[in-house]
Amino acid sequence: MTELSLQKNKLPSEKFKRRITFFSVSSFVIVAIAIQLDFNPVLFFTEGHHLVNLLGEMLPPNMEVLWEKTNVFTSIMETLAMAFMGTVIGGAGALVLAFMAAKNTSPSPLIRSVFRLLMSIERVLPRLVMILIFVIALGLGPFAGMITLCVSTLGMFGKLFADAIEEVETDPVEAVYAIGANKLQAIKYSIIPQVIPSFIANLFYAFDVNLRAAIGLGIFGGGGIGFEIHMAMKMLRYSDALALILFTILLITVFEKISDVLRARILREETLS
Amino acid sequence: MIEVKDVVKQLPNGKQLLKGITFQAKKGDFIGILGPSGAGKTVTMRCLNGLTQPTSGHIYLRSNGKTNDLTCCKGKALRELRQKIGIVFQGFNLVKRLSVIENVMIGRLGQINPLRSLTYGFTNAEAEEALHALEKVKIGHLAYRKVASLSGGEQQRVAIARAIFQKPYMLLADEPIANLDPSNAKKIMKLLKPLAKDMPIIGVFHQPEIAAKYCNRIIAIKEGKVVYDGDTNLSEDLLVEIYGEELQQIEETSTSQEQLVYS
Amino acid sequence: MKHQKRLTFRNLIVFTIFILLFIGSAKLCRVNLGILSSGFFDGLGFLTEMFPPDLSALPEMIYPAFETILIAILATIFGAMLSFLFALAGAANLSPVWLKTVSRFAMAVERALPEIVIILLLVAALGLGPFPGVVALAIGCLGMLGRLYADAIEEVNPKTIEAVASVGANKLQLIQYVIIPEVLPSVISNTLFRLEINIRLSVLLGAVGAGGIGYEIFYSFQLLEYERASTAILVVLALVFMSERLSDFLRKKIALDGKIK
Repeated sequence: MTELSLQKNKLPSEKFKRRITFFSVSSFVIVAIAIQLDFNPVLFFTEGHHLVNLLGEMLPPNMEVLWEKTNVFTSIMETLAMAFMGTVIGGAGALVLAFMAAKNTSPSPLIRSVFRLLMSIERVLPRLVMILIFVIALGLGPFAGMITLCVSTLGMFGKLFADAIEEVETDPVEAVYAIGANKLQAIKYSIIPQVIPSFIANLFYAFDVNLRAAIGLGIFGGGGIGFEIHMAMKMLRYSDALALILFTILLITVFEKISDVLRARILREETLS
Repeated sequence: MIEVKDVVKQLPNGKQLLKGITFQAKKGDFIGILGPSGAGKTVTMRCLNGLTQPTSGHIYLRSNGKTNDLTCCKGKALRELRQKIGIVFQGFNLVKRLSVIENVMIGRLGQINPLRSLTYGFTNAEAEEALHALEKVKIGHLAYRKVASLSGGEQQRVAIARAIFQKPYMLLADEPIANLDPSNAKKIMKLLKPLAKDMPIIGVFHQPEIAAKYCNRIIAIKEGKVVYDGDTNLSEDLLVEIYGEELQQIEETSTSQEQLVYS
Repeated sequence: MKHQKRLTFRNLIVFTIFILLFIGSAKLCRVNLGILSSGFFDGLGFLTEMFPPDLSALPEMIYPAFETILIAILATIFGAMLSFLFALAGAANLSPVWLKTVSRFAMAVERALPEIVIILLLVAALGLGPFPGVVALAIGCLGMLGRLYADAIEEVNPKTIEAVASVGANKLQLIQYVIIPEVLPSVISNTLFRLEINIRLSVLLGAVGAGGIGYEIFYSFQLLEYERASTAILVVLALVFMSERLSDFLRKKIALDGKIK
């Protein structure tokens, strides 16, 4: 047996040298970026007292603001309503778009390309830009926020649904065509049943995403809780702000749980029926 | 030398898994532990390895005039003792994404300075020794392959190399050939047998024929007790006594394997 | 028959609830179809103000775009490191139960906090600029990356961990030689995905004061310089598109390779 020897470049000492180089270079890059951005961790300690002060002013959170001021309650409802409408209308639209854009259900390749293009534009357009435009066109308030969510949901989920439709199993579809069905019937009886579970799952996910987005949009004029939080902070009503933030966390968590339960129930029924 | 004395393992609900296991092992022993399922073979293995603490009894490890009791240790002291116990498993249990030689060197993780393992890692000298260990199990040429790309038989060899790299007092084997096809099983047993010269090897096997062929001593455990401790001439009656009804199942599954092993 | 009848009755109730929710929400959102139709044309008219994009402003946009990306990268690096620590604490196979529960809870709470709220707080305390932006995004990673990492750690084969523990390795060695090699591909893949998300968020947070190109967009709108805004928007589109392509490419490479380097 020939004497096997260790590969030079795999020797532990070589590996160690390479590891050191990697860490040095990465550290250098990180420090360079930090300096470029004026990111100075020392600030944490020198300016940190501002954070502590802020915390001091925020605690204890003024939970009464939640029920004292009726417009806060309305804002909460507005945020939920925005998310709901955005998901429902956006989701319905996304479904239509998806059927137009999917290879196996599109009426014509031209329509397919057009819709794919539309969806990719909507998807890449940041919600920030959309809300700014819609606020100018439709005024401040939840309406602009709702439309923003509709459009962004369209873009985001149009692609997801279109992909799901294209990834449907071809055997059941062929079977339906084989017995003489036309395209619409094939869609109704073999494609739609296959995509419903993922459609429903995605719808719930969309609601979660939209709920968080609705809060963010409020800051730019979209109304709802986001707007209230921003106002509270601007007017230095910090304990109010904390109360609203804590409530927001609660809201998102609660709706997440509700979504999970509802989705599990609906999916179970779908598979049973 | 290992001395297992009256080891009892009782579950919190009162069930006794081991009812007083006693035996000894020394250099040169290649012991095969047999017994029906649920008899307590794996529990014994886990006690010998320090994974489980017996409820009562002692496990003495004697080497170079020093005696350590595995059952009395916890935490750091236990880790120190476990450094010197090698074990190979049914499922090989290697770190799949690391290379073969790195897996072997992991064997000494317990023995090197923790600070060093965190920063520098292993030394070149240790890498050389690991390569020797791999050559001993005849897979030196696979040293830099990722474990995930190896076959079952090859992976088990890596596991054995890892164990002997530890320079342990004893080598344990928990059903080492159960996941291997008959020809690889044979090769592994052939590999293990000469290692017994340096340290006692205690292995659990579910096939009595294989144990009988390669081991030089058989210990049979039934219902938590040692019912046989002697040479490898296992008569039919003895097997029936040990296994009871299971014997038929074992014989049925073992016939084809047996043929390959003996051929 | 009875089963079908009950189903239809229940469906009717569900449907009614849905319609009520729909109408209620529409009212809350102050849906005004009148404004929508007039706004639609106003919007279109407005869009003409945004075209053609003022390309002369393009050179001014380069540094802000660069800044936005840097913020996202730095935040993702710090966020990943922070999340990994939380993940080690939040993994059932490594961590005592009380620590795991606390860590998982913290990550879940963070997940429910929109990043924009975090930055509002930080801006109030620390002022404007990329610094609060990086901190906000880094903390924002915790909810998603922390949980994904922790789940990956928990999925490491327990027998492998047992085997290495058998040779006498301590916790730190287990983490270094078993956990990290086994979870590395999924960690990197998830981190790249989060980087994509962070780039988009960085644009958004920029408008709230973190700087970068998000701020350029916002600022342009404030100044009614809409052509300038659309240039900035185009830059953002290009950024997001490229980062997505890059990220997809890298993640596919990792999935194929199974290993990096």
